[in-house]
Amino acid sequence: MMYILVKKNLDQKLSEWSAKYEVVAPQKVEAYSQFLPFTESSELALNEPHNTRYPPKSLFLPQSEVMLKYNKRLNKFDEIRILPEKRIIFGIRPCDASALTLLDTVFDTEEYQDPYWAGRRENTILVGLGCSEPPSTCFCTTVGYGPFNHDGLDAIMTELDDVFVIEALSAKGEKLFSDFPAATNEHELSVLRIQSNAKQGMNQAFETEGLKQTLDHLFESDYWSEIAESCLGCGVCTYLCPTCFCFDIVDEVQRNERVRNWDTCMFRIYSQEASGHNPRPTISERTRQRLMHKYSYWLDHIEKIGCTGCGRCVRYCPVGLDIRAMLRTASNFESEVVNVG
Amino acid sequence: MSDNGHNPYNPIPMHIVRAYYESNDRSLKTFELVFDHQKDCDQFFSNYDPGQFCQLSIFGKGEAPFGIASAAWEGEFVRFTVQKMGSFTKYIHTLQAGDPIGMRGPLGNGFPLEDWKGKNIVIIGGGCAFSTLYALTKHVHHSKHRPDYEELIVIYGARTSGLCMYKHDIETWYQRSDMEIHQAIDVPEEDWSHHVGYVPDVVKDVAPSPQNAVAVVCGPPIMTKYTLPVLVNLGFAPEDIFTSLEKRMKCGIGKCGRCNIGSKYICKDGPVFSLAELNALPADI
Ligand SMILES: Cc1cc2nc3c(=O)[nH]c(=O)nc-3n(C[C@H](O)[C@H](O)[C@H](O)COP(=O)(O)OP(=O)(O)OC[C@H]3O[C@@H](n4cnc5c(N)ncnc54)[C@H](O)[C@@H]3O)c2cc1C
Ligand code: SF4
Ligand code: SF4
Ligand code: FES
Repeated sequence: MMYILVKKNLDQKLSEWSAKYEVVAPQKVEAYSQFLPFTESSELALNEPHNTRYPPKSLFLPQSEVMLKYNKRLNKFDEIRILPEKRIIFGIRPCDASALTLLDTVFDTEEYQDPYWAGRRENTILVGLGCSEPPSTCFCTTVGYGPFNHDGLDAIMTELDDVFVIEALSAKGEKLFSDFPAATNEHELSVLRIQSNAKQGMNQAFETEGLKQTLDHLFESDYWSEIAESCLGCGVCTYLCPTCFCFDIVDEVQRNERVRNWDTCMFRIYSQEASGHNPRPTISERTRQRLMHKYSYWLDHIEKIGCTGCGRCVRYCPVGLDIRAMLRTASNFESEVVNVG
Repeated sequence: MSDNGHNPYNPIPMHIVRAYYESNDRSLKTFELVFDHQKDCDQFFSNYDPGQFCQLSIFGKGEAPFGIASAAWEGEFVRFTVQKMGSFTKYIHTLQAGDPIGMRGPLGNGFPLEDWKGKNIVIIGGGCAFSTLYALTKHVHHSKHRPDYEELIVIYGARTSGLCMYKHDIETWYQRSDMEIHQAIDVPEEDWSHHVGYVPDVVKDVAPSPQNAVAVVCGPPIMTKYTLPVLVNLGFAPEDIFTSLEKRMKCGIGKCGRCNIGSKYICKDGPVFSLAELNALPADI
């Protein structure tokens, strides 16, 4: 069922929801946008810029999170688990929502459920905003997703001139919008046109057919040092990536807290072992880990690429390294290896 | 996706009941831990298999992984032998009987004991990594398990006799008719009547038969590296050779990404792997 939300009623609707839910939506912060709790004075930034710099994975796996507070002397601890009561994330992009479903396969497994992650997922409704005009740094269609992909979303919105047309995708989504006015045939036709144009406007950024095999094959080649040559190892590409999930657990001695913090395989210290041995001593091996994880190991696990094409690593790398260009080089490099060998 | 209330990051409260030095240079210390709550104890022993490890947790110091050195039948305690390395292990060495400590586990896969039923087991260890092999040997010794396996051969090496762990117990193994024990030290010492030499050479001398046998090797990387080819030369298939990997770990439950090699997480898919499985992993070790 499709519904409409008239744009000029948007703030009012979000305010109404705020009475029952914690509402989070992208808002202007300096030159960027960021998911923040909605208040009367919020300045929404749904489209301008196109997506937030900081990934909404932080709403489920915060950059820093207290897991427990301890009393060293008494050797006692209190578990800390701050979960939202009921929450709506409004205006999340499909790439970022599908990234959450990828991370579900890490954090919500049968063997060990991460209660922080699972609790937040359970209590959150995701209202997505499809991408009518994907910017040039996006490449979701190349990696098997798309500008109106449904994965992870409870509802998806398509923006028309003065309304958002909403398609409910789950029972939660249906419930949230059931008293909204129904979309007309005309609305629905516009939606189809916009969605198909958006998809068609996106080019294939690189060949994914056989890419995993190519990368596996290149594991011990010079390809990695070549593509990583100018990388600073700053880790921006991984911190901002919606599918990166590595974390560290440390005791904050001053605060008597055990905390988990985002971590990154792009740092030397990440894989440094006590013996002095480091299996990933240079930026080449670390770049290899980053790309292999997304474009090979994820496929081994769930037969999906672990990159949703959000383009953040492309947009925010301080030296302009572009994962698409790196991956395009892989197939050329392999043909060289094959030709020489 | 429902919350079952259990938080796998919470340390289980325990106390140390026994703590003693294992080596004369005091670099190895053994701790036996008991559970503060019976339900944690029951939970632990319903899940534990030899070869698994735990995260020991000390508030203000953090956590680090250690192999379990006791078999379930020994009693309602969990044994660890800790080698003094850096800050965390140095601190653990200061703990004594009566001190509280946290633990998360059992973690990891453990040895594939079901698959080994009906086979000869060759156990080869060196250094403090022998801890889980000690647990394995003790497990097999139990009258309930012993009939499940054929011959049992243990080869254990240490640099000096002073560094040999679990000495008093292992001396009694020479009297057992259901196993062979070969101990070795690197260089000759007065009063040492067992083998002298490096573990790979002792394995060559003992030359265990690969017929209907599995071999499991745990030790310092250098020992493991030189022992694996000896076993291959003796005719052991890569599928029948097992080892346990040590990687840096944080969560121990396949979430934090730290111990990743290729598509495996060592904490969750390991730490025990067959040589065949290791050979299939990318060279990221
Ligand atoms: C599955 C497994 C089983 C182990 N079993 C034993 C055992 O039975 N007995 C024993 O003495 N040691 C064992 N270790 C090694 C032990 O975990 C490290 O010696 C210990 O973490 C070093 O901590 P440290 O703070 O004293 O050293 P530091 O050098 O100060 O280490 C700094 C940090 O690095 C981490 N770290 C360093 N080395 C390792 C490592 N090899 N593995 C994991 N984390 C590391 C620690 O968490 C620590 O916080 C095992 C390791 C693994 C992975
Ligand atoms: S690898 Fe880059 S494009 Fe892909 S999901 Fe991560 S940040 Fe987005
Ligand atoms: S953002 Fe760019 S420079 Fe920084 S670690 Fe990633 S690839 Fe390297
Ligand atoms: S230690 Fe966290 S994934 Fe293995």
